[in-house]
Amino acid sequence: MSPRLLLRLHRIGLIAMVYFGIFYVLVNSAAFPIIAGKTRAAQEAFGRSITVLGAQFSWLLPSPIRPDTAAGYLQWRGYGFFAILFAAWGLFSACGAVRRDEDRGLVESWLSSGIPRLRLLVSRSVFFAMLSAEIVFLTGAAGWLGCLIAGTPTQVAGLVGESVALWGLTLACFGIGLLVAQMAADFRSAASAGSVVLVAMFLLDSIGRSSIHRAPFTDISVFSLFNQSKSVAPGGTFDVAATIVLFGIGAIATVAASAAFVRRDIGAGLIRTRRRRAPEVHEVSSNPLLRTPVLRGLWIRRVGALGWTAGLAVTAASVVLLVNITATFFASTPTLSPYLRGLPGDVQTVLLALIWLSFAQALVAIFAITSVSRWSSEDSSGVLEMELAEPIPRWGVLAERAAELVVTLTIMSFVATAVILALAPAEAIPLDVGKMLSAAALLLPFGLTIAGVGALLAGWRPRVAVVTLSTVTVISYLVFELGPLFKWPNWADNLSVFQLYGTPLITPVFVGGLIAMLVIVAVGFGSAGVVLARRDVAA
Amino acid sequence: MTNAVVMHGLTKDYGSGHGLFNLDLEVAEGEVFGFLGPNGAGKTTAIRLLMGVIHASAGAATVFGLDCDREAVAVKREVGYLPGELPQFGGMRGSEVVAYLGGMRGGIDSSRVKELSERLELDLGRRFREYSRGNKQKLGLVLAFMHRPRLLILDEPTSGLDPLNQQTFQRLVGETRAAGGTVFLSSHVLSEVEETCSRVGIIREGRLVSDMTMDKVHELRFHEVVIEFRGDVPEAAVRAAAGVETVAVEGSRLTCTVHGGFDPLLAAISGHTVTDMVSREPSLESIFLSYYSK
Repeated sequence: MSPRLLLRLHRIGLIAMVYFGIFYVLVNSAAFPIIAGKTRAAQEAFGRSITVLGAQFSWLLPSPIRPDTAAGYLQWRGYGFFAILFAAWGLFSACGAVRRDEDRGLVESWLSSGIPRLRLLVSRSVFFAMLSAEIVFLTGAAGWLGCLIAGTPTQVAGLVGESVALWGLTLACFGIGLLVAQMAADFRSAASAGSVVLVAMFLLDSIGRSSIHRAPFTDISVFSLFNQSKSVAPGGTFDVAATIVLFGIGAIATVAASAAFVRRDIGAGLIRTRRRRAPEVHEVSSNPLLRTPVLRGLWIRRVGALGWTAGLAVTAASVVLLVNITATFFASTPTLSPYLRGLPGDVQTVLLALIWLSFAQALVAIFAITSVSRWSSEDSSGVLEMELAEPIPRWGVLAERAAELVVTLTIMSFVATAVILALAPAEAIPLDVGKMLSAAALLLPFGLTIAGVGALLAGWRPRVAVVTLSTVTVISYLVFELGPLFKWPNWADNLSVFQLYGTPLITPVFVGGLIAMLVIVAVGFGSAGVVLARRDVAA
Repeated sequence: MTNAVVMHGLTKDYGSGHGLFNLDLEVAEGEVFGFLGPNGAGKTTAIRLLMGVIHASAGAATVFGLDCDREAVAVKREVGYLPGELPQFGGMRGSEVVAYLGGMRGGIDSSRVKELSERLELDLGRRFREYSRGNKQKLGLVLAFMHRPRLLILDEPTSGLDPLNQQTFQRLVGETRAAGGTVFLSSHVLSEVEETCSRVGIIREGRLVSDMTMDKVHELRFHEVVIEFRGDVPEAAVRAAAGVETVAVEGSRLTCTVHGGFDPLLAAISGHTVTDMVSREPSLESIFLSYYSK
């Protein structure tokens, strides 16, 4: 298999890791003096606050070491989070390499061209090992550069050690993913089973970390093995044995997966359930929802919509529970406490507004992008052609897509808002119900703004729509997040679509922003209708 | 008789000589028209222009007098469509795909769906991703036939079907024609067209090279003749005979092709001793290839 093809097969993971790995670590380490303060005293105070905060988040991240330094902060904030990120990348890349490509018939096609099974799996594994090594070490280099920008250079040896450990974790999870994927019958099952294994290992490590006595079985978790190394932080160590075990797990799992791949049937899992013989059906489905405009799309995509709604609701609940911890952290950090003094209104309400709306906007934006991705794929896969073979106008398809999006966004945002309103009293967070409902309602034009631009792109050039929209949205989000941090001029901040949403929980509704969003929605969907009507479908 | 389909100067130019060029064609109501040509000849392009999925570079097409581009929605009320390849409907069951797409049309004849799925032996209870290629094609046929359209536009309809289901398909087309319906189907398999169509159009490199009734197609038939002689082979006389072509002699054996009647050939070999004589009628495929090679 050519490296170019392999690179193409891993392009989504690669783009995501460049965004969330290299860029994330560079920004976080470079911004250390802005967050922690420039004086030694301010940084020490910041470190004490992070230590307190770290203890409260020990179920999620390992305890911080010397967070008063850029390197220590990078160890906790960067590499603590990367364990989850890179593990997930390794696992889902493996499931995709085995199952998604098999579901699409690519594996069968490659094997029929004469490539031996073993060689196919080995070439995929070797390529991923090389690709992940590049990303991991570039991330390390970005961390080194960030610390240099922050004015507190870190030791190269420490970063190299941590990068090796992170690479070992990634490959271990890739191997586990390869093995799990051999058991399942399709990508969805493989990804679900792999996620269960990953979450179980994370919880094992989390429980072991949070408990007073370390349980002996904790060490079978790849997360625990990775967390043995903390060589970026000053005074931290690199655990050679634990890192070798990580590579060993990856190698053993890959060998076992290869043996299973050679033996099993293509298109089937190693574990097969006997299918029950059901009587043949010759009747059309009696489900009335499938015959009703808008509702038919909601029904077909009900699992995804429920997943998004549950995800947003869980995020909302987590944010409510985090508000008081964050308020304490801000109040006890000299560099951050001035921010609280300048805020309009109650501190908890403001923090809830800032944290929740930031998460909600990000998730709604991602949901809008996934919707645009589906519209594009419906075009290229022929689904749109089949729909247009029925007597419905093209603008009708577009209108139904928009209406389905409105309904799903409404459910998502108002369910999450209901969760916040239900949990806030227990946390003693004063909330204005009217403002909460306004904030929820404003998520609709916000999501539709991104979707409207996406609809235009999908109608014009469906193949590049998702990449273009994702890039624009990520840049927009970064401008929104980093602008205030780096004190960028207002005109730069206002380029972000996230800025148009405003802060409806703490300030009046940003009418100008709302009007701008509605104009973008109207122009976006309107232009999409014109473009779609003129364009050849699936051409 | 009115025309169900009219294409006038229909052109879709993809550049580099690809596409469809200046297609003039009429299909009468009640006719079963076969659109023949090899892969990449432009059959699917013509069909997608009829369905209004793509827009013509020049010319126009109408279905029952309705413009395929400007009145695409009205056209589709009259049409049942089978694309060249059915898209992925993932985890949806066959019965749900029928309800989903049928619901877009409005009003589903449940008894017709039942009848079609039973005749095609299609289990609508299974998920689309579990369907074999043949079963996906059967689902496509159910979707095309289920609302008893006035015009069926079918792109490679028997692709992936086993011989028994091909026969069922041919019967369905026959019933549609008997009920006054029109069928426009594309194929690169002449035997399929031979079984179902009343007229064919042959397309090559985006241009219609022939439009003829099946009777005329049959007239194009020729025979491959092999004659064994005892003694001299009358090669010169055979070559001079009307309607005799591609004459070849190998020892005492003469092979040739005969168009039209056999009388000129028989006259040419009279007076010679024939020990064996075999005449074979070539398939429509051979006629098609012969036609194409000219």
